[in-house]
Amino acid sequence: MNALFVICGLGIISLIAEIANFRKWLISIIVLGLLGAAALVVADWNTAVAYYHDMLVFDNFSLAFTGLIIGSSLLWFWTASDFFEALFHKTDKSALILFAIAGGVLMTSFNNMAMLFLGIEILSISLYVLAGSRKEDLGSNEAAFKYFLMGSFATGFLLFGITLVYGATGTFQINTIANYVLTHAGELPSFFYAGALLMLIGLAFKISAVPFHFWAPDVYEGSPTAVTGFMSTVVKIAAIASFFKIFATCFSTIAPVWYTILLVIMVLTLVIANITAVYQNSVKRMLAYSSVGHVGYILLAFLADHKESDGTIFFYLAAYAVSSLAAFGALILVGGKEENTLVERFNGLFKRNPIVAVGLTIALLSLAGIPPLPGFFGKYLVFAMAINNGMIPYVIVAIVTSLIGVYYYFRVIIAMYFKDAVAEPLKVSTSKEVLIVVLILITLALGIFPDFLIQLL
Amino acid sequence: MTLNLFYFLSFLAVLSALMVVFSKNPVYSVLYLIITFFTIAGHYILLDAQFLAVVHVIVYAGAIMVLFLYVIMLLNLNRESEPHKSNILKFAAVICAGLLLVVLVGSLKGTEAIVQQSGKAGIGYVKTLGEVMFKEFLLPFEITSILLLAAMVGAVMLGKSEKTNDTI
Repeated sequence: MNALFVICGLGIISLIAEIANFRKWLISIIVLGLLGAAALVVADWNTAVAYYHDMLVFDNFSLAFTGLIIGSSLLWFWTASDFFEALFHKTDKSALILFAIAGGVLMTSFNNMAMLFLGIEILSISLYVLAGSRKEDLGSNEAAFKYFLMGSFATGFLLFGITLVYGATGTFQINTIANYVLTHAGELPSFFYAGALLMLIGLAFKISAVPFHFWAPDVYEGSPTAVTGFMSTVVKIAAIASFFKIFATCFSTIAPVWYTILLVIMVLTLVIANITAVYQNSVKRMLAYSSVGHVGYILLAFLADHKESDGTIFFYLAAYAVSSLAAFGALILVGGKEENTLVERFNGLFKRNPIVAVGLTIALLSLAGIPPLPGFFGKYLVFAMAINNGMIPYVIVAIVTSLIGVYYYFRVIIAMYFKDAVAEPLKVSTSKEVLIVVLILITLALGIFPDFLIQLL
Repeated sequence: MTLNLFYFLSFLAVLSALMVVFSKNPVYSVLYLIITFFTIAGHYILLDAQFLAVVHVIVYAGAIMVLFLYVIMLLNLNRESEPHKSNILKFAAVICAGLLLVVLVGSLKGTEAIVQQSGKAGIGYVKTLGEVMFKEFLLPFEITSILLLAAMVGAVMLGKSEKTNDTI
């Protein structure tokens, strides 16, 4: 709870920085503040206190995901430091990012549908603007507009769903709804199920599961690379946490209603996202499809056992977030000012800058699921869980799609090592080199000691 | 008295709603729509829902209608520039609206049972709402300020020109 206040406060401080003229110190203040917020999360561990009439509950699940969001934001601020070097709107951008993080924290810790809605809106509205923050670039404008239209449409679905669920149960508290559903199993009105399905659609938009993923590739490609990195880590973590929370508590007892639908969504997500990613020429767009594809594996774990899958999903997301941050960090460096991320631009990267190339390679191998990197353990945990729950056909589908994944990740790796360099060596600042080494170390540490995170939940 | 007021408001509402459709000038249509919204707000007050009435006037009659008027004036719509609508289009519109009417009447016929359940007195008063909002829903109320702040910062950021150098 205090972590949330710290983050909101940091957002307001960064607005004040514009007036009071301490822009130079702003990023350091934000990083210190986020570290403080992380410390507060650790201090609250194992407490599970409900705040303000049960509006927010910070149990271990919420705290773990909040910690993951804060941790990835910290790393993100490091990867995206160039994003704040621009001449204009430094403080506005950092304020919006901080508000988005606050929205993400609300989405992991809500205990009331009103808080869920507010969290999603704070996160989304900040991102609509950030997606369009390269104002002179048409692609960025398109991304912002598309994201705004699709996002408000999805919010409409979600809100309609919440209204119907409220009409059927008479409460916004998710625990009370769960109890009501349990005790009134046979006598729920049919519009309750309609509400649950509308919420499923709204949240599927937010986690960008197929067939509600159409906004994702265009928005990811058009936005500034730094913002794309933010979307594919922090935003994804928050969206999946809220999805899990709603469907593992509120609608857990009516699982038969949404199970088949989610199963279809999961298979479609795995197959369509991974196959479409093969045909992409832009690495950024390919990573966008791959991030849609990763949602499929998370859904597979969720479907295998929606009550017990939180540890697996948490580890998968942590592994995915670190690898994605490393990949997008390298993308920012390679893309340069014009943000050109075609595969050809990666030709001979190993000769141009070995550190960036090795960092990107490890990130991509982890995303592809090659042992001993954490992406492999994430996938292994998901598959083991699915096999234990008798979902062998779906595991086969997932394994085939992850093999397709290996193919398109290796296209970039082959370009980096075996193609001739097209440009002069890539100069990278020391801070970025340190960052890449740190990210490689975190990735390897997660791969070698996966137990540490799995046992948290 | 209340019943007479209800009939009067209903008459005004239906009349102005019809005028919205039948008036040739789009600006008149919007003005008639404002009257419709005011009469509906009157209905809310008759139903003891003061807050809903006030919000209805502020949001619909105030904000949204001003937006409508702006759009109409910006596009310079008037009788001459209005595109000619073919008969088949009118026919299709009548069928669509008729179907909507059937659905609405059908659903409203089934609501009698629900109306009897919610008999809590004073549920629509501003005071009741304020008590809920500042006690139980205090946190969402406060967090909304963050949402509005984010939206404002975003609007300024998108709207502010980056061409001039004198701002930094």
